[in-house]
Amino acid sequence: MAPTRRVVLAVAATAAAAGSASLAGCKGLAAIGPLPKPTPSVLALEHSIAEEEVLVATYQAALAAAAGHLATGLLAAVLADHRAHLAALRSRLIVPPGSKARLAPALGRQPVALPLPPGRRQIATDLAAAERAAAVRLTGQLLTAPPSLAQLLASIGASEAAHAMLLARLR
Amino acid sequence: MSAPPGTIAALQAALAAEQEASYGYGVIGSHLSGAKFAEATADWVTHERARDSLTAMITDRGAQPRPATVAYQLPVPVASPAQAVVLATVVEHRVAAAYPALVAVPDQALRAFAARRMAACAVAAARWSGHSQAFPGL
Repeated sequence: MAPTRRVVLAVAATAAAAGSASLAGCKGLAAIGPLPKPTPSVLALEHSIAEEEVLVATYQAALAAAAGHLATGLLAAVLADHRAHLAALRSRLIVPPGSKARLAPALGRQPVALPLPPGRRQIATDLAAAERAAAVRLTGQLLTAPPSLAQLLASIGASEAAHAMLLARLR
Repeated sequence: MSAPPGTIAALQAALAAEQEASYGYGVIGSHLSGAKFAEATADWVTHERARDSLTAMITDRGAQPRPATVAYQLPVPVASPAQAVVLATVVEHRVAAAYPALVAVPDQALRAFAARRMAACAVAAARWSGHSQAFPGL
């Protein structure tokens, strides 16, 4: 089986950490100079991940606030969609060992839920606005993203546009 | 103006899906009345407009838009208003699935159009079915 990119990077990083010259000529990543800056698509991915984390945290808070109300079914379904978005986005991001410090600070931070107003109607209004805003940002990011990432971002944005409509209909 | 390889094929595939949706909404509308009929009519117009936009995008790039078929095999049978609503949902899912190829082309204007159409189809499908999807079109 051919080694994956992740394995190659991990091995290279281990060699660099050990400073070992005995590993069959592999001098590690340090031998080719400092790591390049994250590409725009990596930054777009990190931004989308951070945004989905905030939405997941927000729907968890909204579900706790709406417990027992009719909207619980919709909120739970939307939360499940966002968890699926987050998993798909995270699977696209390969973080080389030892490079975490360069990544967006949002990645290492505990996601904070958006503040929710009192009252079911206001909560639905605010969540719909958050969905629309997320969809608009994704539509902007997909214009310059690599093709397969652009497709994923377009689909997630379409899902969020549908969420916004369903939430607006609750009012 | 010549388009990169793949762009015309992606445009033709999206056009075919919009043509099929237009046909489908003719059947859907014939089984609905009142507010649902009005919704179906609005969605039908949306697909007709998208079809016209795609036709122009293809001719602008020096290619020949493929004409619509006279009739299409419906993906689900329709004999009642409830089945018409199911067909509308299926039609929107199918059109959304025709656009990811266009989201992947280099031309940013085409990407933006395709992403807007995916979102519009996801919204229409959710309106008909009452449910969202995590990954519409994929």
